[in-house]
Amino acid sequence: MSDPVLPRVWLMRALYAALSVGIVFVNLLPISTVPPSWVGPDLYLALTFAFAARRPDYVPILLVAALALGMDLLFQRPPGLWAAITVLGVETLRNRAPALRDLTFLSEWAAVSSTLLVMTLTYRIILAVFMVDQAPLGLSLMQLAATLLVYPLVVLVAHAILGVRKRAPGDLEPARGRI
Amino acid sequence: MARDRGQSEDYAGPFKRLLLGILVLCLVGLFLIWRIDSPRVERFRAQVVDQVVPSFDWAMAPVTGVVNILRDFQSYQRMYQQNQDLRRELQQMKAWKEAALQLEQENARLLDLNNVQLDPRLTYVTGVVMADSGSPFRQSVLINVGSRDGIMDGWAAMDGLGLVGRISGVGSNTARVLLLTDTSSRIPITTQPSGQRALVIGDNSPSPLLDFIESPDQVRPGDRILTSGDGGVFPAGLLVGQVIQDRTGRMRVRIAADYERLEFLRVLRSYPKDRINDPGSMIGPAAGPRARAADQANAARAGDE
Repeated sequence: MSDPVLPRVWLMRALYAALSVGIVFVNLLPISTVPPSWVGPDLYLALTFAFAARRPDYVPILLVAALALGMDLLFQRPPGLWAAITVLGVETLRNRAPALRDLTFLSEWAAVSSTLLVMTLTYRIILAVFMVDQAPLGLSLMQLAATLLVYPLVVLVAHAILGVRKRAPGDLEPARGRI
Repeated sequence: MARDRGQSEDYAGPFKRLLLGILVLCLVGLFLIWRIDSPRVERFRAQVVDQVVPSFDWAMAPVTGVVNILRDFQSYQRMYQQNQDLRRELQQMKAWKEAALQLEQENARLLDLNNVQLDPRLTYVTGVVMADSGSPFRQSVLINVGSRDGIMDGWAAMDGLGLVGRISGVGSNTARVLLLTDTSSRIPITTQPSGQRALVIGDNSPSPLLDFIESPDQVRPGDRILTSGDGGVFPAGLLVGQVIQDRTGRMRVRIAADYERLEFLRVLRSYPKDRINDPGSMIGPAAGPRARAADQANAARAGDE
């Protein structure tokens, strides 16, 4: 309790890591082994973007890289590439977070959408250049759309339940350590 | 607030950017290494999976069980009808069982007449499905037997009904089974009764494509599909499924294995067949004292035995 700023940040980081591991766990459950005709959203990416666009200090880039690389290895993707693209995308959003702070949710959503679209295209182009087998285009576009659609929900949950809120001008919490 | 932002640019900025650059370089480097030397990185991946997934297992098995129970719960509502269906099915099965027993006896008699030796080494190890691939774009499952149990890459995995896939990636406690539906799965097969050779090619859809058929005209929907063992890496004669035709007229495979519920898989032990490399030595006894000495040595050894 002597320094309430540090525990809060670390608590949220731990929460983020735990949620990500939970998402991996749910994805790995062998519930259906039939190839799906539709694809759900990439919840981990939506969660990371929701955190990065609101409170960049809750998603340290090393943690993002470690989690993304772990997912690459577990989910049978080409190791490293999607992790690298995720790191770059999250870093872009983190840099834009101070500007997004004063804007509406719609502009944040647009920023997330454009980032995700560029990430997906880059990924597919690089895989095509290196001649790696890749998922059908329709399915990965479907996943992109699903992730974008689920993003407001994730933000709502993060905002209302987890308490990931943008720093408001009158917000004392981050400054408390300095006072 | 403005001070906060300025500060991070002054001190932390360059260092952070350097860190970011190194990080991205490392990740892209890993991808390049994977592209160049895939087996090594895949072995590393198998080790990581081998470490991580069994540690989830205590939670995974009950959660999967609960989900399956919930799914089954709907079927309790129409218990009576299901009971009737099952009874009718049982009647049919009894008839089939009689037929199978008679055929088995006949088969045994015929095999005896022909003096056929079945391969005694075609035994199996049974494993439980622990996890799936976790991605909608990859079709594979992880089973809880690995190199500790003698599993090797390339062996066939079946459920009770038919072929499920092949082992691709072995850790010490886990092995990955690449399903027939995965986009990188190709299995040489032969159709019956037409006897055509072809490949079953997974395309991320529930019924894989049948391609490279010798003469496509002779293959009809409804033909049975068995593995052919071409190439010597896969055991022959395992049931894969039936030929069906999709709406565009392409031949596909209705897989015999029950992909809805993969729970226990049998991994068939199979070893590569001995190859005959030297051509002529069996044709006749070689002349000369040396060969004769070898013959005598052989005879002596046979006598000892």
